[in-house]
Amino acid sequence: MFPRPAKQMASPIPTPRPHQAVTAIVVAHDGGRWLGDTLAAVLRQSRPVDRLVGVDTGSRDGCADVLAQALGQGNVLALPRSTGFGQAVAEVLTRLPAGEGPEWIWLLHDDCAPDVRALEALLWAAEQDPKAAVLGPKLRDWLDRRLLLEVGVTVDRTGRRDTGLEAREYDQGQYDGIHDVLSVSTAGMLIRRDVWDAVGGLDPDLPLFRDDLDLCWRVRNAGHRVLNVTHAVAWHAEAASRRRRRITASEHHPRRLDRRNAMFVIMANLPFRSLLWALIRNIFGSIFRTILFVLAKQPSTALDEISALGSVLAHPGRMIKARRARTKGRKQQYDQVKKLLTPPGAAYRRLADMVQGYLSGEGPVESAGRHHAASAGPTPDDGEELLTDTGVLQRIFGNPGVLLSLALLAITIAAERSLLGGVRLGGGALVPVTGGASDLWRLYTESFHPSGLGSDAWAPPYVAVLAALSTILLGNTWLAVSVLLLGCVPLAGLSAYLATRSMLPSTGARVWLAATYALLPVATGAVSAGRIGTAVVLVLLPVYASLATALLAGGGRRARRAAWGLGLLLAVGTAFVPLVYVLTAIIGALGATAFGGARRGVGVSVGIALGVPIVLLFPWFLQLARHPGQILLEAGLHQPSLVDGRLHPASLLTLSPGGPGLPPLWVTAGLIAAALAALLLRRRRMVVAVGWGVALFGVLVAILVSRVPVTSVAGSAEAPAWPGVPMAFAATGMLVVAALTAHRLAEFRAAGGLRRLVALVTAAIAFSTPVLAAGYWIMTGVTGPLSGDVPDTMPALAAAQSADGERTLVLRPSPGGGLTYTVLRGRTPLVGETDLPAPRQARDRFTIAAAGLASGRGGDDTTVLSTYGVRFVVVVAPVDPKISAALDSQPTLTRLSLSPTSGVWLVSRPLGRVWVADKAGARTPVPVERDAGGGLTVQVPAGGGERTLVLAEPAGAWTAAAGDTELPGSTVDGWSQGFRLDAAQHTVRITHQDTWHGVWLWAQAALVLMTLILAAPGARQQDAGPDYADPPPGERDVTPPPGRRGRRRAEAGAR
Amino acid sequence: MKALIENRFGLLVLIMISLAALYGVAYVTQPAGAQPAPPPPAKVAVESVQTVCPDPAGNAVSVVVPQASERVGTATITPLKADSKPLVTLDKPGVLWQKTTAERSDPLVVKGVGAMAAGLETSQTVREAAGKTRGLVGVRCTEPTSEAWVIGPGPAAADITLHLANPESAPAAVEISVYAGEGPVLADHGLVVEPGEFTKIRLKDLAPSPLVMAVEVRTSSGRVAVAARAELGTGKGADWLPVSTAPAKHVVVPGLPGGGGHRELLVAAPGEMDAVVGVKVLTEDGFYALKNRETIDVPAGSVATLDLSTGVGGQPSAVVLTSEVPVVAGVTVTGTGAQSDVAFSAGAGPIDLGSVVADNRTGKKQSSRLVLSALGKPGKVRVQVLPRQGTPPKATEVAVPASRTEEVKLPSARGPYSVVITPLPGSGPVYGGRVLDDRTKGGLLVTLQPLAPGRTWALVPHLVDSAATVLP
Repeated sequence: MFPRPAKQMASPIPTPRPHQAVTAIVVAHDGGRWLGDTLAAVLRQSRPVDRLVGVDTGSRDGCADVLAQALGQGNVLALPRSTGFGQAVAEVLTRLPAGEGPEWIWLLHDDCAPDVRALEALLWAAEQDPKAAVLGPKLRDWLDRRLLLEVGVTVDRTGRRDTGLEAREYDQGQYDGIHDVLSVSTAGMLIRRDVWDAVGGLDPDLPLFRDDLDLCWRVRNAGHRVLNVTHAVAWHAEAASRRRRRITASEHHPRRLDRRNAMFVIMANLPFRSLLWALIRNIFGSIFRTILFVLAKQPSTALDEISALGSVLAHPGRMIKARRARTKGRKQQYDQVKKLLTPPGAAYRRLADMVQGYLSGEGPVESAGRHHAASAGPTPDDGEELLTDTGVLQRIFGNPGVLLSLALLAITIAAERSLLGGVRLGGGALVPVTGGASDLWRLYTESFHPSGLGSDAWAPPYVAVLAALSTILLGNTWLAVSVLLLGCVPLAGLSAYLATRSMLPSTGARVWLAATYALLPVATGAVSAGRIGTAVVLVLLPVYASLATALLAGGGRRARRAAWGLGLLLAVGTAFVPLVYVLTAIIGALGATAFGGARRGVGVSVGIALGVPIVLLFPWFLQLARHPGQILLEAGLHQPSLVDGRLHPASLLTLSPGGPGLPPLWVTAGLIAAALAALLLRRRRMVVAVGWGVALFGVLVAILVSRVPVTSVAGSAEAPAWPGVPMAFAATGMLVVAALTAHRLAEFRAAGGLRRLVALVTAAIAFSTPVLAAGYWIMTGVTGPLSGDVPDTMPALAAAQSADGERTLVLRPSPGGGLTYTVLRGRTPLVGETDLPAPRQARDRFTIAAAGLASGRGGDDTTVLSTYGVRFVVVVAPVDPKISAALDSQPTLTRLSLSPTSGVWLVSRPLGRVWVADKAGARTPVPVERDAGGGLTVQVPAGGGERTLVLAEPAGAWTAAAGDTELPGSTVDGWSQGFRLDAAQHTVRITHQDTWHGVWLWAQAALVLMTLILAAPGARQQDAGPDYADPPPGERDVTPPPGRRGRRRAEAGAR
Repeated sequence: MKALIENRFGLLVLIMISLAALYGVAYVTQPAGAQPAPPPPAKVAVESVQTVCPDPAGNAVSVVVPQASERVGTATITPLKADSKPLVTLDKPGVLWQKTTAERSDPLVVKGVGAMAAGLETSQTVREAAGKTRGLVGVRCTEPTSEAWVIGPGPAAADITLHLANPESAPAAVEISVYAGEGPVLADHGLVVEPGEFTKIRLKDLAPSPLVMAVEVRTSSGRVAVAARAELGTGKGADWLPVSTAPAKHVVVPGLPGGGGHRELLVAAPGEMDAVVGVKVLTEDGFYALKNRETIDVPAGSVATLDLSTGVGGQPSAVVLTSEVPVVAGVTVTGTGAQSDVAFSAGAGPIDLGSVVADNRTGKKQSSRLVLSALGKPGKVRVQVLPRQGTPPKATEVAVPASRTEEVKLPSARGPYSVVITPLPGSGPVYGGRVLDDRTKGGLLVTLQPLAPGRTWALVPHLVDSAATVLP
């Protein structure tokens, strides 16, 4: 399709050079706003052009007239509206016969005004390098005249355009010089006519976007060089890609066109082997980006992305044709081209930039170059961060947030030395962590939980959170729990540091706040006692505060998004510690009434934030409402030994929640003193008062919580709840108060004299809290009930011999006297299984029988236990000789082993999970098998008279079918599920069917997904950027004024 | 108000007042006292009891359930054989049942259920006027256990027979260990007693040498009822060795009768460590330490003896032993006269839940006495006699001063009778024994029975359902 041979290609350019003709071609399309300036700039060149031709492709804003006026009617070519840039240029060249000697073509867009000396500089550079066939100027922004747009462009193998510039990089001469580049823009491109003819000009299949890249690539393949000459400057408005004008060369959206062309050009120009790799990368990359765009609520972008890919893949013929036309020199020159493509590491560098930008408090920075990025609005001067561009590692490790996290991590590792490296983490409130993500998912989704006595209650929703996290961590539940619980201190510090980035300007104050927060007594206490709930809430609480600020202070979609996000995270926190919801709801309601009048939509946003948790956790919330005492408890075990039953008032006021692993009370004195000192300042009194209000509220709730004895619905001794979370609220209030007024310290220090001393002393007192807390924590280590190596309570002997669903009664003497018991089914329970409530009747009956067994009174206690499917009775250390003697005296128990650490007894006539009771009351076990779906298949032998088939599980939504007939159900012994059965032999299938459970699970999944999408950061809103309708500053073009001031003036002038 | 807010110290004062108020609230609501201890164990009636009388041939077998109650229940007396039918079925609590069995009889299993279980007590007693086994020979029938200790003369000094019976449904794998004066002489001699079977073991066959011995019978699975009979030879008497408490650091051997005769203390230290055992005798006058014999050294795994004859001085007494190492102890008591009879006591627990002695007689020549000892706190018990026939007499209350031993003569009654000893509220721990003697021409016949904790009540521990059980 391109005229091939061209002998000129081989012929060197003769030197000394004769006069070189330059033909400038200005293609205009609805560019009336800029065209006048462009033409003026072209005509004013220090090295005048020899021929100047204007092309108008059916403009509707009078471009043709402007061109005619400036160039004369004879020099203007009118083409139809659908003509592309390449076609227009080609059209002109067919009408202009090539002159004698070397001739240059200077391509100009209507929105591209070259500097006075641009052409001169380009030609000078061309003379220096005889192999140069294409030269391009340095492009700068039309409005913000010092803003760099391009100094040559390259792509990576996915077609991602790369200018090599930072976002909003200003021209300070940092790229000056003549560079070999892969391509230059057609805006201001100077190209040798013979080369143009030889390679065939711009590809008409690429009417817009990437035509320049394709042309330059072909020029390179032909053995020429492409140079960017920064001495030549042009100002470019990028009108088409910024959608300042409609594109009529193609009916598609520019974004889609751009993606399609990018992939097309890459695939057409890469040699075959690289092509295959690029193809795979593009397919997967595009799909991945599409998903990301969908999640980011940019469905149209996603559609563009995927349809661009589809368009490329759907036309293999076009691709083959294009590749065939580019065969020559493609492979030979690829080595040269490869050097100019974006290096492979760039993607990681981009990621690192984003992370670093996020840490330093910026939004995610798009450093891809500006072809797509809309001009960002004015941002605060971030000169320092840009100047310290000294490598990714140094930037990351120079960041105070990262340093703080690393320091906290080191402190944590030092303090938790006793916990690391064990086999099984557990103790305190934490059940020994066993199982994997799939077990947790099963626990969350099953409608009946065959653990302990059995329960058809909703699994606590934190199980789903842990399961999701474990899934991300490749199914390792222990890792998920360790990260959340053991890593809660550095995580809380990081989250506090990040959450305050828009709140606190001073890095020092942020570091102090984050460190103090992370090392609160609540945090160390939560780690010692294995309170994963409090640990999670500690990490989330700063995020709540940040989102709530965005919700109350922000407006429009930002506030709404914050509301959805807050709702979702609140649901997560509530799943672990229900009290969080109550505290947040009260504070939120107060906030809504206070701010509701000032800002529209705050009420609705607060409603969303508080409503989402209720909807997401609905069935579990109903369970909670039935047992209001549970609101005070949190995920995990409730044990009297983990709380201080008589928490001293001084502890409550010094944010020390009682229990194991706490520093002395005076450690927090520095924090409280700093917060009290903030009250003396006259400024920001409103915020200080609000913060103290939250603190007092938190302490009040902590007092109430620590005074009300509660029992876990899943069974526990009675003890007051642990007031950790309300204390964390109180501490947050105090911290914010102190940190917000920290800038006064800097002012005091600057003032010198006595004030300087006061500032230093205050800072020292404030910093004493985190330093002392960290020191004390490291010194004592974690000695508390949490241990990295908890022994398995379930004896291997009993575990190995238990059939599916058979229970083991475990008795343990409790330290204060008396015994505790629990029921296991062949294994240690999963996290969350211990929070399942068993039906009261079932539990009461079982407790009486178990107590009777332990007393040694004889009787039919063992029989009662066997109706529960108990096969083993286990006594664990410290084994009380009275108990072991009592169990020994039971004729119905057989001792299997007894040692000082544990004893195992076997029920001599166990009934198993399913048994048959005849009319006389005789009970016989029946064989039972469990199938993959959880249903039970029971083989009932023939027997006399009417019988009852008993399933040793709490009565509920069980159905049994013998063949096709459904058996009528009944409740046996006040708790278990029975089915009436005749005398014949049967194969009975028993299943638990709870349709609503499944429906709710799906609804929950859909709701979570919806909330996630609504909360996800969406498309950036269009900032009120510069309007390109503004006339560009006329005379200042030649010597552009320094950036922002000039721009501001320009804007002012426009108004 | 405005002035308060604008004042530099206004806010501070407000917050300080609020903090003080919170402190006040926290102070007022702070619970008094420490965390409440869990409620004490509840007393419930025992539901089922099974005992075995080891060798009832020709003996008077006594069965009694002390307390009449609303509930129903039966007690059956069955020979220990597979598929045997009950000989007798009893359903009247509060009345002693006694019958002399045939000369040839297997061990008898007495099983009480429901109302006939609470406090079920059985014993076998026989009076032999002459011969090799001359003497009063009685034993409390015990329930099958997984561990039992007996202590007394060894096979070299007496003919010792160990009776093992398994009335249960599971076989019992038994291991027997014998400790002697020179140390452990037999370790873990194993045998299996099948369900419904019994076996007699002559200890001479296993360990012929010991003069004194302690025997440990332990089952690794199943349970057996253990009894040991000692026949010292013609003119020296015979009796059953009562089952002792398991090795403990504090042992009380109660129920030593007053009067003349030989008293010998036997102490075994079955562990790995030598024991230095402090010995004190608790008499009617209080604690009494034997001069130059305040302690007795027991090498590890051996049995030591100490002659108490002079120390006790003919008073009814108990021996209180303290040791750093768990020990087992018993006392051999010899009656006076030309032909002596022997009786044995052994370490026993306090009768906090009451105790019952099934077979007592009082007559012209026979007398039954209780020897009660109170340690530390004064003891106060009620003694109720339950005759075989007729209405029971009124119960008497007996006060035992702190750290004293008291001898209580049981009233005369027609025929054999049972006695129920119940501690009254506020009583300290009481230990005791029953002495039954018979004056004959040849000499005093005597048998002892340490008061065993009654089977009336079981202590139901406070049990809490808590998943925290899985954590150490």
